Amino acid sequence: MKDVESLWDLFQKRNVSRRNFLKTCVTITGILGLSPSLISDVVSAAEKQPLVPVIWLHGHECTGCDEAFIRSQSPFASDVLLNMISMEYMDVLAAAAGEPLEHHLQEVMKKYNGKYLLAVEGAVPLNDDGIHCMVGGKTFVHNLKEVAKGAAAIIEVGSCAAWGGIQAAKPNPTKSVSVSDVVSGKTIIKVPGCPPIPEVITGVIMHYTLYGQIPPLDSKGRPKQFFGNRIHDTCYRRPFFDSGMFVEKFDDAASKAGWCLYKVGCRGPETYNSCGNLRWWNGLSYPIQSGAPCIGCSANNFWDNDPFYNRMPNIPVPNAIVNADQVGIVAAGALTAGVVIHGALSTIQHKRHHKETHETENDNE
Amino acid sequence: MKRVVVDPVNRIEGHLRLEVVVDEATGKVQEALSSGTAWRGIELILKDRDPRDAWAFAQRICGVCTTIHSLSCLRAVEDALGIEIPKNANYIRNIIEATQMVHDHIVHFYHLHALDWVSPVAALKADPAATAALQNTVLEKYNLNVKGPIEFDTEAYPKEFPKATTVYFRSIQDKIKKIVDSGQLGIFSAQWWDHPDYDVLPPEVHLMAVSHYLNMLDRQRDIVTSHVVFGGKNPHPHYVVGGMPCSISMNDMNAPINTERLAVVDASINMTIALNNYFYIPDVLAIGEIYVKQGYIDGGGLAKERVIGFGDYPDEKYSGTSNGDFHNNLLLRSDGVVENFVQGVDKAIFYPFEAKDLSDPDVLTEGVEHSWYDYPEKDKDLHPWNGVTNPKFTGPKEGSKTDWKYLDENGKYSWIKTPKWRGKMAEVGPLSRYIIVYTKVKQGIITEPTWVEKMMVDQVDAVSNMLNLPPEKWLLSTVGRTAARGLESQVMGYISKYYLDKLINNIKAGDTSVANTDKWEPSTWPKEARGVGLVEAPRGALSHWVIIKDGKIDNYQAVVPSTWNACPRDSKSGYGAYETSMMDTKVKIADKPLEILKVIHSFDPCLACATHLYDASGRELTVVHSDPYLRL
Repeated sequence: MKDVESLWDLFQKRNVSRRNFLKTCVTITGILGLSPSLISDVVSAAEKQPLVPVIWLHGHECTGCDEAFIRSQSPFASDVLLNMISMEYMDVLAAAAGEPLEHHLQEVMKKYNGKYLLAVEGAVPLNDDGIHCMVGGKTFVHNLKEVAKGAAAIIEVGSCAAWGGIQAAKPNPTKSVSVSDVVSGKTIIKVPGCPPIPEVITGVIMHYTLYGQIPPLDSKGRPKQFFGNRIHDTCYRRPFFDSGMFVEKFDDAASKAGWCLYKVGCRGPETYNSCGNLRWWNGLSYPIQSGAPCIGCSANNFWDNDPFYNRMPNIPVPNAIVNADQVGIVAAGALTAGVVIHGALSTIQHKRHHKETHETENDNE
Repeated sequence: MKRVVVDPVNRIEGHLRLEVVVDEATGKVQEALSSGTAWRGIELILKDRDPRDAWAFAQRICGVCTTIHSLSCLRAVEDALGIEIPKNANYIRNIIEATQMVHDHIVHFYHLHALDWVSPVAALKADPAATAALQNTVLEKYNLNVKGPIEFDTEAYPKEFPKATTVYFRSIQDKIKKIVDSGQLGIFSAQWWDHPDYDVLPPEVHLMAVSHYLNMLDRQRDIVTSHVVFGGKNPHPHYVVGGMPCSISMNDMNAPINTERLAVVDASINMTIALNNYFYIPDVLAIGEIYVKQGYIDGGGLAKERVIGFGDYPDEKYSGTSNGDFHNNLLLRSDGVVENFVQGVDKAIFYPFEAKDLSDPDVLTEGVEHSWYDYPEKDKDLHPWNGVTNPKFTGPKEGSKTDWKYLDENGKYSWIKTPKWRGKMAEVGPLSRYIIVYTKVKQGIITEPTWVEKMMVDQVDAVSNMLNLPPEKWLLSTVGRTAARGLESQVMGYISKYYLDKLINNIKAGDTSVANTDKWEPSTWPKEARGVGLVEAPRGALSHWVIIKDGKIDNYQAVVPSTWNACPRDSKSGYGAYETSMMDTKVKIADKPLEILKVIHSFDPCLACATHLYDASGRELTVVHSDPYLRL
């Protein structure tokens, strides 16, 4: 990829000093949550690694993930777009449209065969030969498979690409599936969330561009540095949970005092995401801090784990509590037991759902 | 004659295809076709869900106008269940909505639309010193001198201001040069940068605008800080039926909302007002004036004939929408239909659009003559609530089912249905809202304008004076549609401040309530209930409709702005807004239809909104056949 510049090349072209370059690398190391001992790795990665061409495709989606991407502040989306990657195809931001843009896509796929990163936003509808999502006169599933062939790795941006998302919720009228359901033989990074936290999206891209390799993943393909804990594990309201201090209904005295939202349906105890530690807008807030129970938007099939305001023991939750890592399973198991005990101590509500829940849980096991 | 396809249309939400037939000798567009090429079926997915969850599902119709569909949904569910939200919740929702409008409009102008007018390549020819001088001139000249009511004036001086120095513009120019020299243009690749329309603006305007493209890309997130404070995140902030989840307390250290949180929102709103006043308004007016003075006043299309709006921003509490109370104290009374504005405001014809019209089967209908559906009685349009959805994909005119060459303008060619008002097509959006409010005020239909309506009229008059043209000459064009969005953004910045002031005053008066939970439990609901929620969304008039039976959603419908604008034609009613506007636009080079992109982008297309409605498998979308949906 001799046509492509490294971050250090760009710093040289901008007449930015070596010292500033190193400072940037230190900052980047911090942003990525890496140990300071890795700074020298970051420096050498930034020196040698050429800018990575990125192709970003859209299937069945709402464009909320593009919006999340441009909301990133560390790094700024402008810096990602102009200095860290070369966003060769992304119809939401591309200057060009139609035939010239599609032609450019073909050129990029040829020129960077095997080297480009493919980001996919949206689910893949398969019903009726895939005609429910047509792009450039062809089905999205066709385009996706074509572009995936030459990709170095694929990022599923958001819960639609990663799990199928809202259109795959019952009754899934378009038979929508995730990207990994139709693409195989490729390294796939799942970045779920509806949408993902902005800095999680850019953090994954940055990790790849700096190291030239994908970030460490869990067994479901999610980057451990962003999805290694449940929101509950890092939630600032956790002490209230542990003390049994719960919001009973919205805007009660406990809501004003900022107590735990578990009893009004919070999915924090089963949802792997960075809301509790990174939060949104670099630490400003996240739904729980704003008084709203988490709906588990980064979890597989969370849309069908409704009603959202029923507290968790009443909710069938396939796959969400289980982490592939053995430690994860033990910790999650212990915590689930805790949740159930809290539930049992509370007034039993929604008896109607109770039996159904257990049946569904059994089905999922 | 040349037939040109633009697919995918870029810089939009969703999937849109355009086909135009251009007379190469005259540049006239003889035929134009707009097709929505994807749909997801979210309304079907909403069936049988808990109505208290519906806002989260409806929200995912769109992540660009995020929050707008949830708001419309909440209003519909609360209308159905007879829930009156507390004052504070109404203020907070209005702040979220108004800041969303500014965000949506600014991102549209700078990141989805600007590159139709502005070229980074042309910016290379600019003199950085002259650009700095130009920036100063623009700030001096393009100031509309309008200001909204600000009670708690918390900003000592403008914190956000365009940089107007030679060094700054040179550094931006150097960066562009490096990108161009590297041959890797990234998002700037493959555009028709050699199109003659990129010569309309002087190089310095290109450099200034490209700088603002980058500057606004970094700033836009701070416009919606209120969503993160009140709703926990953005896109897709959280709500609760009956109000807001963000409880307010000055007595609890861990309260979601306290003085510090309000200060964060306040700082964000101050910044938002500044971005409008010092970036967006000067930029859109400077570029617009140059275009208008060079005779670019085409693209008006359907707005010349007919526009429609619903009105928004309930100033105080309201008991419901279907009982008409929502419309009793609106800050923005853009409800109604205006025809014939092209003849001037005096000759324009106004028709009221009231709550009762929503249920009248002769007022709102949808047709499928050119949509991929069948209706039971051919040629008989149906009220949306009586509509049936039998998909009938007929394929393209040329090509195969999964590999299209040309779509068939004489047959069916879009997943979007064709909505009509009294059998006629109408345009929606910021331009429509300005035409309606301007006409209502100037014709005396509104006798006591709210401060918002007065500001809108003042803005239009100020721009008309600046251009020395009456409103119908400049508003009804691609430039006018884009300018109206900028003017509206300025108003919306002040609306956010206005409702933050009201929120603070109400807390001061001792009211901290944000949610009415009296009817939270389904046991308090009627066995069957129906409701409607109206919103003036960034792209125009939006309505959500819900039927709740036995505590669950029995039917859900949304009639969205981009359906009105992007719809296919109809043999009795003519062409929709996109198609009319394209046929009202001259194309210089048929192979490089930049003008087509420009006029379609001026609507800010949002296709997932327009086409989410339909069911793939042929099930009927609505359950109601014989009895009219609404008995409001």
